[in-house]
Parts: sequence; C-alpha cells; structure tokens
Amino acid sequence: MSVFTDGTLIDTVRQLGRPALFNIYFALASIPLGFPFALLLALGRSSRITPLAWLSRSYIYAFRGSPLFIQFFMVYSVMLAFNLSTWKPMGIDHIVLHPLFLGPLVLVLNTAAYGAEILSGALHAVPKGQIEAARAVGMSRLQIFRSVTWPNAIRIAWPAYTNEVVFLFHATALVYFTLPVINEQKDLMNKAGELFERDYNAVLHYSVAAGYFLVISALVFWAAGLVYKRMIRHLGNDAPSRMRFKPNYLR
Amino acid sequence: MLDALIVWATEWVTGTFGDTWGDRLAYLTNGKHLAWYASVRFTLIAAFAGAAVAVLCGLLGAAALRSRIAPLRWVGKVYTTIVRGVPDVLFFLFFPLAFEQSVEWFMAQRSCDAATLANATSWPPCAAAQWYLGTGEYLALACVSLGIVYGAFAANVINGAMTAVPRGQLEAAKAYGFSSRQVFWRFQVRQMWIYALPGLSNVWMLLLKATSLLSLLQIQDMVVWANRIGAPNYIARVGAVHGDWRWRYYIALFVFYILLTMISEYIFRRLRERASRGMALSST
Repeated sequence: MSVFTDGTLIDTVRQLGRPALFNIYFALASIPLGFPFALLLALGRSSRITPLAWLSRSYIYAFRGSPLFIQFFMVYSVMLAFNLSTWKPMGIDHIVLHPLFLGPLVLVLNTAAYGAEILSGALHAVPKGQIEAARAVGMSRLQIFRSVTWPNAIRIAWPAYTNEVVFLFHATALVYFTLPVINEQKDLMNKAGELFERDYNAVLHYSVAAGYFLVISALVFWAAGLVYKRMIRHLGNDAPSRMRFKPNYLR
Repeated sequence: MLDALIVWATEWVTGTFGDTWGDRLAYLTNGKHLAWYASVRFTLIAAFAGAAVAVLCGLLGAAALRSRIAPLRWVGKVYTTIVRGVPDVLFFLFFPLAFEQSVEWFMAQRSCDAATLANATSWPPCAAAQWYLGTGEYLALACVSLGIVYGAFAANVINGAMTAVPRGQLEAAKAYGFSSRQVFWRFQVRQMWIYALPGLSNVWMLLLKATSLLSLLQIQDMVVWANRIGAPNYIARVGAVHGDWRWRYYIALFVFYILLTMISEYIFRRLRERASRGMALSST
C-alpha cells in the first residue's frame, strides 16, 4: 500500500492542507479590525465620559461572558431576519451572509472584547512616573499617548495578546459549525469530519487536524516571541522573563 | 400542577394587563417553550458534572506535573500542553467518537465472527457491534470530555497554587513536628484551594461557555430548541404564525449566558471572601 493512497497519514495531512488555510484566513482577517476595535474599547472603558465608559464596559462584559458559539448564531440570525442580505457592497450579492465575511465579523466582535480586557490592563500598568515625566517636559496628551503610554502598553500587553491571537485561531474552528458551508470551502474541522465519515478513522483524521492547530499555534507563538525579544531588547536587566505559552483566557 | 399554575397565571395576567400580555404569556408557556426551558437541565448537568471531572483531572494532572518520577511529569506536561494547544471543540467531538469506537472495537472482538472481522470494510464490522448512544450516553461523554479539556487548565491552576503556598508555613509546620505527609495534606493541599480559587473560577467560566456546544453531540439542548421554536412557523389552518424569530431566541440565549456568568461571578466572589478569612493574602 502506497503512503499516498486514501486513508493514510500522509494523505490526510495533504487533504487537510487547504482547509487549514480557511482557519488561517479567518484569524488573519479578524485581527486587523479586531485590534483597533479592542484598543478603542480599552480606551473607552477608562474614558471620563460616563456613557462611553459604561457602554464599553458592558460590551466587553457581554462578549466575554457569553459563548462564541451563541454569538455566531445570534449575529447570523439577526442578519437573516433583517434581510441585510440585500445589501450589496461593491455589487457583490449575498456578501453579508457569506461565511467568509460573517465569520471574521463575529470573530472581530468577539476578539475585540477579549483584546480590550488585555489592553486596558496594560494601559493601567504603564508606569505613572514616565507619564508624569512626559507631562513635565511639556508634551501634549496626544504626544504622551504616542511616545509614552502606547509603547509601554503594547509591550506589557504583547504576551497576553499573543495568547489571544492563538485562541482566536482556535476559535475559528467554530465558524463552520454555525455558518453554512459553501461548496468546497471547508475548514479543518469540516474536512476532518468529512474524512471521518468516509472511513470512520477518527483517531487519524482528528489527530492530524489537531496537529495542524498545534503546529500553527506554535508558529504564531514563536514569531510573536521573536518580536517580543526585539520589543524588550533595551530593558536590560529589567526585562521580564521569556514569553511563555500560558493560555488562560479563551472563549 | 404546572399546567394548573400556568392556566392560573395566564388568566391573572389577562385580567390584569389585558389580552396582549395574556397571549404573550400563553405563547411563552406553550409546550415547546416548556421543553425549551426544561432543556436547560442538560446545560447545567454538563456544567456541574463537567466541573467535577475537571477538578478531578486537574488534581491528577497537577499531581503528575509535580511528580518526582520524570515520566509522570512528562505525561502531565504532554496532557496540559496538547489539550490546551488544540481547540476545545475538536477534543469535544473527538473524545466521544474515539470512546464509542473503542467500545465498539471490543464489542466486535467478542460478538463478530473472525471472517467478518477480517473482511470488514465499514464500521462497525458487524451489526452486533453497533453501540447506539442515546442522549444520556452522549451527555455523560460530553461531561467527561469537558472535564478532560478543562482539567488541563485546572491542572495548571492547581500546580501554580501549590507553588504559591508560602514555604515558610510549610517549614513552620515541619518544625512543629508534623510528618511530611501531614504537611502536604493538612497545610499545602488545604491552603492550595484558596490560591487556586481565582484561577478555578476562570476555568469554570470557560467550561460554562463550552456547555453551549452540547448540540454538536446530538443533545437536544437550548440551542437546538431555540433554533426549532424560532424557525418560521406555518400552520395550514392558521397561516403564518410568525416569521423568522430565531434572532429573538438567540439573543435570549446570549442574555441567559451573560446572566449565568454574572451569577457565577457573584458566587465565586462570596466564596473567595469566605475562604480567605484569616488568610494573609497580599492582594485581593
């Protein structure tokens, strides 16, 4: 039996390669919007404008306090009910109900809440003395944020935010359990399930899917660790210890 | 009893607030809705039983992580790393499938004849080895797999908490003449719980949210019912009863889970206050 025939390890690895790209797409598509949204929420949380602070707080609480699985169903059904499907950005039909659009949208809503919690913690952990020093030098509020608060906060938040990205990637496994699968657009879980139904070899197919998740998570973590090393290179002996894979928050 | 109560309440609401509210209450207490409310039991059973298994797995995992025997430490490390490095939903689906197949494999060894077993191309090899799983079996499997997944998180929490117990206290206990076994059980393990409580409350929140996945194991849980009741409803005699109301039901579920989170947060806060009475905790 050749190793390339159906139902072998190598065949499964090969077949799950393309579906893995869908998971990667969902994660990659939601970070560029999710991060700025998280930052806005984090700033809003500690804003002096009470309604804004209250709104951001309740948003963060609601989206961290409820399952992503339900959030997917909720957003999808709301989209269905309000006939938002007739909305045609760039003349493309049914874009709103398309999983490749709706998946990242819900993930953005979700990751923004988790990210905001991390970022607001980091914003509060910025050393007070540095901000006072910046004020004493006569910097404006914007200048202080840009050159003192932000560089400090992003460095403090980086390890936790990396965990969040890894878990966002894990959360992409839920997309096709809740949204319609269109043709061959399948993610790892779908494809593993499909292969399972073909030969009932649960251990092989699900292990390979799990392997993909593990390997990609490890890669993300490794890359983020390199960036982190660069971020803390000027700290010398004050530098915190090496970044660790400490997934404590997920959905 | 319940029926009489519902009839009475509906009449009272109709009399007090008018027909509209009476009809609404009647709608919200019809058979399907009562089945929906009752399906909350699956969620709660999965949460509590899953939490019990998770604490057990967490204790075993932490014991393995802290073991003096290196292979056991490796087992603990592999367990906590792999389970946390893989999406919970994958494990949630994989474990029941794998368990079912292993049971069926044993059944096949016993009840299928050798010729069928050797030539079998499908699963299970013969009809006698088919294990039919009902809601109860699936629920039990779901609890165990939730327990295994979140046990890995709990193991890390408990491991950290064991380290967090001040060494001075253990040394003081030893100085008073307690044996090392007594020091371990009466001082380290007992105080560990207080340090582990914040982390464990975190794990509980995760587990609570993961209970929304029960429908993936063919359990008729709240999500299934919400989808069923909310779907566009048409009765030939009456016409369209309502359009697509699924969004209302999913928003209700969304709010329900937020409420569960709020309640658990409150309980854990009280628990922490109670547990840390007289404890010299630096923060919180």
